[in-house]
Amino acid sequence: MMKNKERTIVVGLSRLGSTIAAKLSEQGADVVVIDKESDSFRKLPETYSGYEVVGDVMDTDVLEKAGIETAKTIIVTTDEDNINIMIGEISAYIYGVENIFVRLNDNDKSVLLEATRIHAIYPFLLSLDEFERIMKGESAAS
Amino acid sequence: MKIIIAEGSAEVDYLIKMFRKNRHSIIVINKDRAFCEHLSAEYNIDVFVGDPSKKFVLGDADIFDADILIALSPSDADNLVICQLAKRVFRVKRAIAIVTNPKNVGIFKRLGINNALSASHLVAETIERLSIIENLVRSLSIEEERIVLTELKVAEDAAIVGNMLKDLNAPVHFNLSCIFRNPEVIIPDGNTVIQAADILVIVSTPDHQTAIVDHLQRKR
Repeated sequence: MMKNKERTIVVGLSRLGSTIAAKLSEQGADVVVIDKESDSFRKLPETYSGYEVVGDVMDTDVLEKAGIETAKTIIVTTDEDNINIMIGEISAYIYGVENIFVRLNDNDKSVLLEATRIHAIYPFLLSLDEFERIMKGESAAS
Repeated sequence: MKIIIAEGSAEVDYLIKMFRKNRHSIIVINKDRAFCEHLSAEYNIDVFVGDPSKKFVLGDADIFDADILIALSPSDADNLVICQLAKRVFRVKRAIAIVTNPKNVGIFKRLGINNALSASHLVAETIERLSIIENLVRSLSIEEERIVLTELKVAEDAAIVGNMLKDLNAPVHFNLSCIFRNPEVIIPDGNTVIQAADILVIVSTPDHQTAIVDHLQRKR
């Protein structure tokens, strides 16, 4: 695959992953998506014009096929926290990817990412914040 | 010693029996409830049902300050997280992971888990060492493959037969720590003379192993 400093890799075509991939692709970014099921690629909208790699992301050959050695950003959103953490750490410590985002459902696992440059996104905490924001808004309005 | 066994199936029974012999205290953590019931009925040990890659499960099982944790999940990612949590949060002294993908032995090392074992990696490594070398009795890596122990049988026509140790002129540094000369065991010094059929026990770094063995096997 072509070398490109601005490449973004999206791992795991969850709803979040496929939406991010489509958005970046529409903005003209160089995007590669990886998923273990070829069926998952149907979730990508027709406007998506990036690359697609089918394979087990736990195999570094698959990551290299997607161009991780020169990628600038990686976004990891498989539905397994432990896989997301391991891919995040591999991206940081083995391939030196600059921007790393991983989605984690269990916020207890944040302890493993402290003092690293891996950014974790916790849907649970975001929902909680949103809930508190709405509650505050309603009590202010009443 | 306090030993934690996280996940695993048939091998867990075997490990428990082994560790019990040496009176280690054992804690088992496993997602499979039926398997846990079997273990706690069979052995007098602490068994916890739960996912050991979750912090609160490890906390409930009180693994704090354990001497050794062994992670046996078929998922390498689970084992990485289990070992990292054990070491960083619960100050477990040594965390050992059995990995499915042999490539992960190296990857785990770079991610701070030095004791990753893969059955296929071990077999490949052993065959690699054994296949190239004639008369090699045994070869064993210790200290995370930084030291290798080699047992080498001296051939009748080897150039070193009749030489004193100090005259071996090996191209690289090594330590000949012991000689088996049936039925004796000799701790050699520089004046010890090597005889045919001696078994030499050599300590060296893995990089130097081939050069040392080549040198010691040179024909007269």
